[in-house]
Amino acid sequence: MTKLEKAYLAVNNIDRIRRRTDSSPVILLVTIIYLIAVLSVPVDRPQGIVWLAAYPVIASEMQGIGYGKVFVKSIWILPLLVIIGVFNPIFDKVTVLHIGSLAVNRGWLTFISIIFRGLLSFQAVILMILTTGFIDIFNMMRKVGFPSVLCTQMLLSYRYLFVILEEAIVMKRAREARGYGRKAYPFSMWGRFIGQLLMKSTRRATGIHRAMMARGFSGTLPLGAKYSWNKRSWIWLISWTAVIALLRFMDFSKIITEIIVR
Amino acid sequence: MHMADALVSPAVAGVAGAVAVALIAVSSGKIKKIERNDIVPLMGVLGAFVFAAQMINFSIPGTGSSGHIIGGILLAALVGPWAGFITLCSVLIIQCLIFADGGLMALGCNIINMAAMSCLVAAPLIYKPIAGDGKSIWRITLGAVLASIIGLELGAVLVTVETELSGVTALPTNDFLGLMTAIHLAIGAVEGVATAVVLSFVASYKPDMLYACQERESQDKRMPKRTKIVMSVLGSLALVMAVGFTWLASSDPDGLEWSIAKITGDTEIGVASVPATAFLPDYDSTFAGVIGGIIVMVLLWCVCALIFRRTKTSVVDKK
Repeated sequence: MTKLEKAYLAVNNIDRIRRRTDSSPVILLVTIIYLIAVLSVPVDRPQGIVWLAAYPVIASEMQGIGYGKVFVKSIWILPLLVIIGVFNPIFDKVTVLHIGSLAVNRGWLTFISIIFRGLLSFQAVILMILTTGFIDIFNMMRKVGFPSVLCTQMLLSYRYLFVILEEAIVMKRAREARGYGRKAYPFSMWGRFIGQLLMKSTRRATGIHRAMMARGFSGTLPLGAKYSWNKRSWIWLISWTAVIALLRFMDFSKIITEIIVR
Repeated sequence: MHMADALVSPAVAGVAGAVAVALIAVSSGKIKKIERNDIVPLMGVLGAFVFAAQMINFSIPGTGSSGHIIGGILLAALVGPWAGFITLCSVLIIQCLIFADGGLMALGCNIINMAAMSCLVAAPLIYKPIAGDGKSIWRITLGAVLASIIGLELGAVLVTVETELSGVTALPTNDFLGLMTAIHLAIGAVEGVATAVVLSFVASYKPDMLYACQERESQDKRMPKRTKIVMSVLGSLALVMAVGFTWLASSDPDGLEWSIAKITGDTEIGVASVPATAFLPDYDSTFAGVIGGIIVMVLLWCVCALIFRRTKTSVVDKK
C-alpha cells in the first residue's frame, strides 16, 4: 500500500471509529477543564498528576470505548515525551528522595511528571475525538462565537481532504501505468505532479462551490439542528468539574501514604 | 513543530490562545473585504492540500529526526496573508481536534508559531517584496525559499521561548535554541524548495491563481515609494535575523546525540541552573503516591470495565 492510500485510509478510519454520544458537545468543555487541571500541577509533583488519570479511565469506560483502546492510541506520543523530558535527569541533579539506598534526583521526578502529563492530556484529547462528531465540534465552535469564516473553512478543508487524496491516488496510478515499471519520480516531475494536483482539485472544488451557490449557499453554513444543551449536559459538566477539582486539589498521595504506613 | 500539551503551562497557553483568537478575529474581518469570487473554494481546497502535505514526513539527514512542511508561504502566495492565516488555522484546528496532532491547550502556541509567523510575518515581509508582482519565476523561487526558512526559524525560536517560559524542561535555553534552529533550518530549506516548485508551476500555467496577480489586477495604483522602502528595511532586518540563527544553528551541526554529549560534559551549567525548591518536605509521599496512584488507577479501570461493560451487555441482551 502506498503512503497516499495509507493516508486516505487513516482519514476514513477516523470518521468510522468516531462514536457520537448525547454528551458530545459538553465533552469539549470538560476536556479543556481537565487539561487546565493536568497542566497546572507543578512539574515536580508526579504524585499529584497520577490521580487525574481517573477522568480518562472512567469516562472512556462510561462512553463504551474502553480505556485500553485510548491507552494504546496514546502510546505513540511516548517517544516525543521522552525527548522532551530526557534532559531533566541530566541537568536537574538535586537529590530530593531516597528509595532505600537509591538517591533520586529532582530531574527524574520532573521526567516522570512530563510523561504523565503528556500521556494524560493526550488521552483526554483522544477521548474527546472518539466521542465527538466533527459536526458537533463545528457547532460548538460556532456557538461559542468563532468567526463563521473560520468554521466554514474548517468544514470545507475537511471535506476537500477526501477530494485531494482521491485525486492524488488516481494521478499516481495513472503515472505508474504510463511508467512501465519505473518506480522513482525524477525531481522535475514532482513540481508538475503537485501543481497539477492542486489545479485539478481546485477545479473540482470550484465546481462543488458553484453547485452549492446554485442551491442557495451564502458563504455561511447553518448550525446543525441536532445541537442541544440539555439537563444531561449540565449534569455531565458539573459532576466532572467537581471530580476533576477534587482530584486536583485533594492530596490523595498523603492519604494513601498514611494508609500504607499504618 | 506541533507543540504537545505537556510542553506548555496554563499561563503560557492562555496568553498564546488570547493572541491567536485576536489574530483570527482580525483576519476574519480582513477576508470579508477580499473581492475574489473563487476565494471560498480555493481556501477550502488549499487547506485540504496543506493538510495532506503535512501528513507526509520526510527524514532529515544526519539528525535522526523527521519533519513536514507547514505550507504558510504557499497559502499566503496563493490567497494572501490574511486568508492564508485563516486557512492554516483551520488546518491546525482540524489536526488538533480530529487527529490529536498538537495539543488542545497548546493550540494557541501552534497557531502563532506556524500560521502567524509564516503567513503574517515571513510572507508579507520577505516573500512579497522579493517575489514582487509574480512575473519572474526566479524571484518567486528566491522569495519562497527565503520566506519559508525565516518563517520556520521564527516559529522554532518561539517554541523555545514558550517552552522555557512554561518551565517544563531543564535544558539550557541556548542549547535548546541551537537544536531547534538547526533542525528547522533543514526543514525550512526543504519546505522552501517544495513551495518554490509548486509556485513556479502555478506561475507558468495559471498565473492568475497567484495572489500577487489578483492584487495587481484589483489595484491599478502603484505602491507608494515610502512603503516600499519600509518593506525593504523590515525584510533586510528579518534576513539579518535569519543569518544570525543560521550561524547559531551551524555551530551545532551534528544533531541531537552530539548536542547531548556536549551538554552533559558541561556539568557546571546544569547544576547552577537548577534552583533549590520547596519540594523537600513533601518527598516522603512521592514514591508511595505515584506507585499507589498507579495501582488504584489500574483497579479503577478494572472496576469500571466490569461495571460499564456488563451494563451494556445486559442492555443488548434485553433488546
